[in-house]
Amino acid sequence: MTLEGTYKIPAPRDLVYKQLLNPEVLSHALPGCEKLTPNPDGSFSAQLKIGIAMMKGTYQGRVEILDAVAPEHFRMLVEGKGSGGFMKGEGTLTLTEEGGDTLITYTGEAQVGGLIASVGQRMILGAAKQNVAQFFQEFAKQIAAK
Amino acid sequence: MSTKLLGERIKRKEDPRLIQGRGHYVDDIKLDGMLHMAFVRSVYPHARIKKVDTAAAQALPGVVAVYTGHDIQGKLGLVPCAAGMEGLKIPDHPCLAIDKVCYIGEPIAAVVARDRYLARDAADLIEVDYDPLPAVTDPLKALAKGSNIIHEKFGDNVAFEAKLEAGDWKAVEADLPLKVIKQRFINQRLAPISMETRGVIASYSPGEDTLTVWSSTQIPHILKTQLALMSGVDEARSRVITPEVGGGFGSKLNVYGEEAMACFASMKLGKPVKWIEGRRENFLATIHGRDQVNDLEIYVQADGKVVGLKCVIVADLGAYHQLLTPAIPTLTALMILGCYNIKNVYVETKGVFTNKMATDAYRGAGRPEATYIIERAMDLVAHELNMDPAEVREKNFPSPKDFPLALPTGVTYDTANYQKTLKRVLKAAGYSKLRKEQERLRKKGKYLGIGLSTYVEICAMGPSSRMPAGGWEAGTVRVEVTGKVTVLSGASPHGQGEETTFAQIVAEELGISFDDVTVYHGDTFQIPMGIGTFGSRTTAVGGTAIYEAAQRIKKKMARIAAHKLGIKPGELKFSDGKLQTSDGQKSIGFGEVVAEAIFAKQLPPGVEPGLTEHCVFEPPNYTFPFGAHIAVTEVDAETGEVHLRDYFCVDDCGRILNPMLVDGQVHGGLAQGIGQALWEELVYDENGQLVTGTLMDYALPKAHQFPWFNTSNTETRTPVNPLGVKGVGEAGTIGSTPAVVNSVMDALRPFGVRHIDMPLKPEKIWNAMKGGVKAS
Repeated sequence: MTLEGTYKIPAPRDLVYKQLLNPEVLSHALPGCEKLTPNPDGSFSAQLKIGIAMMKGTYQGRVEILDAVAPEHFRMLVEGKGSGGFMKGEGTLTLTEEGGDTLITYTGEAQVGGLIASVGQRMILGAAKQNVAQFFQEFAKQIAAK
Repeated sequence: MSTKLLGERIKRKEDPRLIQGRGHYVDDIKLDGMLHMAFVRSVYPHARIKKVDTAAAQALPGVVAVYTGHDIQGKLGLVPCAAGMEGLKIPDHPCLAIDKVCYIGEPIAAVVARDRYLARDAADLIEVDYDPLPAVTDPLKALAKGSNIIHEKFGDNVAFEAKLEAGDWKAVEADLPLKVIKQRFINQRLAPISMETRGVIASYSPGEDTLTVWSSTQIPHILKTQLALMSGVDEARSRVITPEVGGGFGSKLNVYGEEAMACFASMKLGKPVKWIEGRRENFLATIHGRDQVNDLEIYVQADGKVVGLKCVIVADLGAYHQLLTPAIPTLTALMILGCYNIKNVYVETKGVFTNKMATDAYRGAGRPEATYIIERAMDLVAHELNMDPAEVREKNFPSPKDFPLALPTGVTYDTANYQKTLKRVLKAAGYSKLRKEQERLRKKGKYLGIGLSTYVEICAMGPSSRMPAGGWEAGTVRVEVTGKVTVLSGASPHGQGEETTFAQIVAEELGISFDDVTVYHGDTFQIPMGIGTFGSRTTAVGGTAIYEAAQRIKKKMARIAAHKLGIKPGELKFSDGKLQTSDGQKSIGFGEVVAEAIFAKQLPPGVEPGLTEHCVFEPPNYTFPFGAHIAVTEVDAETGEVHLRDYFCVDDCGRILNPMLVDGQVHGGLAQGIGQALWEELVYDENGQLVTGTLMDYALPKAHQFPWFNTSNTETRTPVNPLGVKGVGEAGTIGSTPAVVNSVMDALRPFGVRHIDMPLKPEKIWNAMKGGVKAS
């Protein structure tokens, strides 16, 4: 499953980049995020409550940031597992300046397994896209409040 | 009293209780102190298991026990495979995975708890730490060099290879230029989907050291033997009871790990343990059907006479063998010539391991695949030579006088008249009129398809020499003191209506009322021997055993009656509750003879008291039912949608004992065969995840998607059994799939489309129409 797209945030690139890696902001913006705690190795541990189709469940996950080049881009690895199965994703976020705004271009691959794959597959791409859109909307709000 | 019963539309004895919800399936059985089991199943198609953490589940109040692979290792036998071809690789198949999983849904741990929901909740608390391995789901990729290997000790993913070669291929090659038509066909993976999922209760009594198992199975006796071997309980102390079974279609012709786990848990805990499969589990972990890639070459003369057939069958077996997994594709090879007298044949069959659930017998089991290949081939021949598909078939049929007909594949067809069924179905459908209508509609931009399939199948399985564990069936007829008759059959049904047909046989033979005969099945303590219901064998083999047992009863009763009447036994006729001489001069009541036999006051010398006769019928050959089907479809040129407008079939299953039950079998079979052609497909994604895991995702057809089925029959009796019956359980599934695909391809001829693989979804058809695809 491939996810890609762009989102424009009306804020300067340095700020956007910094806030994208701010656990407090992220935990508010990530849909269903109940907990996001930084680990000593630089990764984050996450607890997400996600519902796809009739598959609602809590997932324990790990988010890792790699190849970070401030304020241009970084790579993100996401892994989660719960009673409904597992998910695994890898994506790249690239930030470019557009006037005073920041354009985020994201591209990623995600894989799901177990019950979520056999039961929720039909809805999963739609649900993922919706979650991404929700994330950026919420993130933009958080930035605006800064 | 006794009227003619055989050949009549007698209503099913089973139906009143089933329709009123008064039958008892496994889940309806509740035992004192019964515990419930749930399974943790793999979410990876291929992975090493690093750790299984059961602590949280075990701590949950109400949880009685949790078992993992290591708890059963060396204590509970492996899931058995009965197929025994040369060089077959059989991987160890434990009931719970030990250190490694090889398909999505493979059981890893079992939780036993005080109720079903608690068991499920506890299972969700078990944490499995996996180390994922790359998965292979495409059998062709699994065969390729460099593919990851599922069972490392075998060195590759090939479970077996078999070759079948006959005829004079040198002569065929020398005879070129014959036309050689090549095509790859995909027989996609299907889910059997019985209304009732699997279910089991095991109850071990430590005091008596007896094991009683209730299971929704097609093979109680085989299951009893296997569960005894797996669990270690003496077989003579083991009992399997099969209550009502809500369908199986071959999927319950098996011994499953969950059944053995219930026994293991009950033996450990000393309490009854129940497991009822959920629908999602049913998709993941009950056997699947079909899944073959077939590469066909057909050698044909300019006049349409087919002289040779070559086929490479790559069968996707899944990760492990279930009971008959590797045997199923060998039936495809055996029946690949269909009802055509083709002298030269070459079939190479490869069974391949993949990271998927095992395939095994699903209604038709290997024969729908064969029929699809040969019947699509006949249409390709007609297409290439610009001949009528009916004419090509007729040209290649053997004459009715050629039977019994020994085929180069090694089977001998008993009896047939293929010309007759073809003629009948062409007439029923109004074939020439339909062709004219097709012509007219094409001019208006409307696309009508007329698809033909003339099939033969192999049934009444079968002679013991060709079966892994015997091919006989057992039947007992016992006349009770009151003159009521008890019939015991080893052919345990799962919805076929044997309580009715077997009562028809016995009542007609003994000349008594249909209501006075009660048929029992599915309890290994009551029924001394049995094999089961599958391979369209129940009436032909099981019915014959009962028929023969009834003959023995008659012989004994005639002897007793003759002694009483002072006449020769041979002269007595059984009808209207009496035994009478053929001139009607002397008679004696059925009940009177029964009393004589049981009270034994003046029995003839050497005659034992009682009226119980047991027969084990060993069939000398398989039977070969056949038929001709026509599907009429309309394809929407705008959307690619297929509308099945009409369906006509003429099936010949030998002598018909109950036309209503034959119709019922054909209707159900058609629904499943048409389902394969148009809608059904189990899909694993490239990572090995099952993406069609619910009835929302797997396109199981519903009644409104079908037209009224125009069914009829011819009756060509078989000499293989004294009843003359051949079997009809799978005919509809076998005949219909190619008829529908041929019909749609016929509709698409103006677009230059030659072949599209099943299921024929609108999207594929629309693309083919737009692209004018010549071959897929």
